[in-house]
Amino acid sequence: MRLDIGTFPVTEVVFGSETKYNDGLLEINEDELLAPVLSDPRITKAKIEIARPGESVRIWPVRDVIEPRIKVKGPGTVYPGTCDRPVTTVGEGVTHRLSGVCVVEVADIPQHEKGGDFIELYLDMVGPWADITPYSSLVNICVVIEADSDLHIDSKNIAVHQACLAISDSLAATVKEQTPPETETFDLSTDDDSLPGVVFIPCIHSPEHMSGSLNTFCISIYGISRLMSPWILHPNEVLDGAISCPYRTAFATSWAMVNNPILLELYRRHGTDFNLKTCIALKTEWTTQQQKDLMGQQTAKMAKMFGADGAIVTWDAGGNEFMEVIRTIQHCEKNDIKTVFLTSEDLSSEGVSTMLEPVEEADAMISTGFFLGDALGLGQIPAVDRVIGSPEFIIGALRDGVIPTQGELPPPRRHDDHYGFTNLMCEET
Amino acid sequence: MISAIYGLALGVGANRIIKGAKIEHVLGDPKMGSEKDRAYSLNLVRIALKTLEQEVTEPTLYDPYEFLKTEKKEVSDAA
Repeated sequence: MRLDIGTFPVTEVVFGSETKYNDGLLEINEDELLAPVLSDPRITKAKIEIARPGESVRIWPVRDVIEPRIKVKGPGTVYPGTCDRPVTTVGEGVTHRLSGVCVVEVADIPQHEKGGDFIELYLDMVGPWADITPYSSLVNICVVIEADSDLHIDSKNIAVHQACLAISDSLAATVKEQTPPETETFDLSTDDDSLPGVVFIPCIHSPEHMSGSLNTFCISIYGISRLMSPWILHPNEVLDGAISCPYRTAFATSWAMVNNPILLELYRRHGTDFNLKTCIALKTEWTTQQQKDLMGQQTAKMAKMFGADGAIVTWDAGGNEFMEVIRTIQHCEKNDIKTVFLTSEDLSSEGVSTMLEPVEEADAMISTGFFLGDALGLGQIPAVDRVIGSPEFIIGALRDGVIPTQGELPPPRRHDDHYGFTNLMCEET
Repeated sequence: MISAIYGLALGVGANRIIKGAKIEHVLGDPKMGSEKDRAYSLNLVRIALKTLEQEVTEPTLYDPYEFLKTEKKEVSDAA
């Protein structure tokens, strides 16, 4: 399975008479892009606003961030399965992408209404919070969108995400026929037998337990968000968006999944330092100890069957899910697979561990900072000149307070950059 | 401690740990209806209280089902 990804860098985005890409300049015809979206009876409002790096802009509430990509050759569609898109296996042929730009889905629609999961994410283009998100260095094409309030929550979710994917598709279509200035080839067909085998194990949240539904929209694999046994994915499938849609943090987004720095680095060192064997995506938030133990054991078994001598484990949520994640590490190590864990940390007091359940087998970990935004030491996030989205920001544990979005805000509630996008560093004390 | 995620309870060194049902409903099962759900809960709480009578030297996990079997055996042995 060989995938060539052609990159078209975007340096500026402007509104214009047609939607086209020319040598770094992306021109957008807003009416044309929004026409199919606004003709959808499920959508009541939609507009496009642009936020550029360095501008004093805040975007709220942010549901997802999407990188415009399109299949040029080979089967399937990027971001497959979700919102009724084809489920044809992806990862082969040629994909073109617009880099330096992203579609930001701005809507206050939670994944479900059973409590616990809210849209809590805002993005800044400048300031201390912007400094630790990858999106502040991209031109953000924000789709501020509302769905018919009478719709079922699942329908609202699909309607707005489908709309944003359609806009992303249209933007990417501008470079479908063009020759990319840069191309990178992703091919694992040859191994060097003298090198160790490595697998990548991304642990992906499932909303099934929180929502009580098998079909809740959330981060998903080929559109499937429910709890199920671990998925064996060719890394190329991940690069074509097989894992997509958002969860509740800045780092579980469609954009983050296809730009995953761990996967890209593993790929680039394939055949030189080790052989990248496969990607095993573990669905998390199981509800009994037995299920959690089973998932850890099965994931480790699969890794072993693929000839893993080493593994990198990442995850995208906090708490409950940790149980199957840490057990996966435990069982990999018991199977002689050296395993590294990328994780954020909890706050610690009186020498207590900064992780929920430390196990002795988990002896190689990389901290990506603190999980709670309050603990990051960013202080209050300064006011901005302009807001894209809602002028009212929701605060309070009961979500019963409202303050102006434009003013000073508390730091983001969660910062779980479990992929290492940011350059936060630990300080020895 | 009654816990559905007893692995964690063992890890942090709780003395006596009783296996609970599920994370959503540690002490019962709403699908059983309120009467049976309550009986299920009471049984777990009773077992939890019983375990307090046992000396333990390290984190000890009790399976409610196994506990009841042992208890019955003790009763019949005594008889």
